[in-house]
Amino acid sequence: MKSGFPLADRFSPMQRYFLTAIFCVITAFVLTFFADDLDHANIVMPLLLVVLLVSVSLGRDCAVFSAVLCVSLFDYLFVPPRFSFAVNDPQYLVTFFVMLVVAFTTAHMASGLKQAAADASKREEVTQALYKVAKDLAGALTGTQVNDIISKFILEQTASKSWIIETQDNKIVNDDMTKGSPFSIESHMATVALREQRTVNSSALNGADWASLYMPLSTSMRTYGVLSVSNIENPRISLKMIEALASLIAITLERLHYVQVAHKTELEIMSERLRSSILSALSHDIRTPLTVLVGLADSLSMVKPSLPQQALETSAAITQQAMRLTNLVSNLLEMARLNSGEVKLRFEWHHLQDVVAASLQHLNLALLDHQVISNIPSNLPLLEIDAVLMERVVSNLVENAAKYSPKGSRIEIGVIEHQKDIEIYVLDQGPGFEATKIKEVFSLFVRGEKESNKPGFGVGLAISQVIVKAHRGNIYAENSIDGGGSVHVLLPKGTPPVLEQEGFA
Amino acid sequence: MDSRVLVIEDEIQIRRILKNALTDEGCHVSEAGTVKEGLRLVGTTHPELILLDLGLPDGDGIGFIEEVRGWSDIPILILSARFDEKDKIAGLNAGADDYLTKPFGVGELIARIRALLRRKPRLEDEISPVVQFGHCSVDFSTREVLRAGEEIHLTPIEYKLLTVMLSRPDKVMTQTHILKTVWGDSYAESTHYLRIYMSHLRQKLEDNPSQPKHFLTEIGVGYRFKE
Repeated sequence: MKSGFPLADRFSPMQRYFLTAIFCVITAFVLTFFADDLDHANIVMPLLLVVLLVSVSLGRDCAVFSAVLCVSLFDYLFVPPRFSFAVNDPQYLVTFFVMLVVAFTTAHMASGLKQAAADASKREEVTQALYKVAKDLAGALTGTQVNDIISKFILEQTASKSWIIETQDNKIVNDDMTKGSPFSIESHMATVALREQRTVNSSALNGADWASLYMPLSTSMRTYGVLSVSNIENPRISLKMIEALASLIAITLERLHYVQVAHKTELEIMSERLRSSILSALSHDIRTPLTVLVGLADSLSMVKPSLPQQALETSAAITQQAMRLTNLVSNLLEMARLNSGEVKLRFEWHHLQDVVAASLQHLNLALLDHQVISNIPSNLPLLEIDAVLMERVVSNLVENAAKYSPKGSRIEIGVIEHQKDIEIYVLDQGPGFEATKIKEVFSLFVRGEKESNKPGFGVGLAISQVIVKAHRGNIYAENSIDGGGSVHVLLPKGTPPVLEQEGFA
Repeated sequence: MDSRVLVIEDEIQIRRILKNALTDEGCHVSEAGTVKEGLRLVGTTHPELILLDLGLPDGDGIGFIEEVRGWSDIPILILSARFDEKDKIAGLNAGADDYLTKPFGVGELIARIRALLRRKPRLEDEISPVVQFGHCSVDFSTREVLRAGEEIHLTPIEYKLLTVMLSRPDKVMTQTHILKTVWGDSYAESTHYLRIYMSHLRQKLEDNPSQPKHFLTEIGVGYRFKE
């Protein structure tokens, strides 16, 4: 162990005492030549100086030894009767006492000063090392680099091995996280450190093969891992220092985490932009030929003189089918958009009357053969919905009802206000749903009838379910007692904003 | 319809169909495939109506609308192939009068065009203070609203909303526009006011409020009044 005394380190204890003795004896011997000329008080001074020098250069033990020795020499050589330890005048006892006290005090203070200087330079070294680590950490780009930098630092400072256990969501994920560690890790203790956010130190786990110190790496935001260190036998740095180091590591890991998040967000934004531009291009590319198709079919029906009846029917059928295809494509594109999971719904407070009215308007052509009855109370509370998507749900349900029920039959669309939610239902007079499949009708590509010759995939109901779920609602199908199927949508009510009452002027 | 119509559309097939349909109706059609060409033709042919595709190769249709609106209020009908409502709203806010989503039936197109051309103010006609629709009539000079001969009481805001809707029949009005005009700029986002008052109007003036014939919803965009 270093004592901090430059000379002391070069000699063994025996040699130090020997040197002290020689130093004292020579000084005393030189002083004997002036014994008659000098006052005793002045003889004491050089001896005290010797004690001081010894205490500064050789350490406290030698200082004490020199103090005792110098007092003895002073007594033997200078105090009358000279060359005897006997003391005639008792006042010399005061001199001895003061001399001893002065010697001890100087020795003590000098060595304390030395110790403080030594400590300061040691701290300076550690600070330098910490500063270097901080600088290295600032440049670290990966978790592995951080781990290497820290392992090296701790090995230099404490001769112990260390390892950063990475965690995810405040859990030590699995053994993979500790793979590559230089020692065995007591996962229970690491978990305790993590859960209780405190340093866990176990002296029971001795030896270099086990990590005995576990320190959570936390910032104010979250915990990024646990620092594990093997048994520290020769600590040049205190536990406090390691704690400081731990927060340094945590800040670095947090920085790495946010770099990663920023990178990921950038990627997400780019892929989202790409996705929406693909969908938009797809929509444009599909709609253009459909527009041409509808336009051409329509212009056939407008040819003058009029075409034969059969040709007119054909052109009307082409128009109708193209419109259906458009609806189908819209549903598929909307499904792709929603399934990407990144769609922000445009929630606004709406009146369901608007939504139903718009979808009946929209379906105008498809409903010509049916009798549509709507049953919507006028005093409905507003609902917070994405109206464009909800219109699609209602349109899909009504269109489905029209598709699967006989011409001329009745389709009822209604809204009922319940205590906690609002129900939209669409009721038809068709054959209803197959009892065994009534729960599956909302899965993609399941249709009401097997081998059906009716057009359309199961996309309509599937997308309706996706949209309703996105509104935290519920959708289910039923068969009514008096025949016919019905689909019910339940939407939570929420708290509509309050309207300022209009002042009646 | 003996009118000059400018068609700005980059798909030749669609342009051909539009031209044929409009020519059959007796219109004089000029065609452009780009914004630049379109702007040139607006200056030289003085059209009475513009059909505009929003996705043109050399620029964005919104810019075209803004430019034309700088010096003229020729009716503009947008043709949009994108399924995003944002484009339509942007177009309408820039000053377009109506929109059609592709694909559209020729019959629907002709009906919209007729409505837009009819709207053209004719100086020789005396502007009547009475507007009639369905079983209702509104007399702006006396502020009297009648439905099947019976007087209907409207609150001041309901009346204001009614006059805004009636001011431009067949034109799609964005909800932001209506909110700002009726309630003021600070209410531009308070769509719930519009929903409630529109439902009041329908309740009082429509025969079947849940299947309205006059106060139509353009979902995600706004409202349209139809005579």
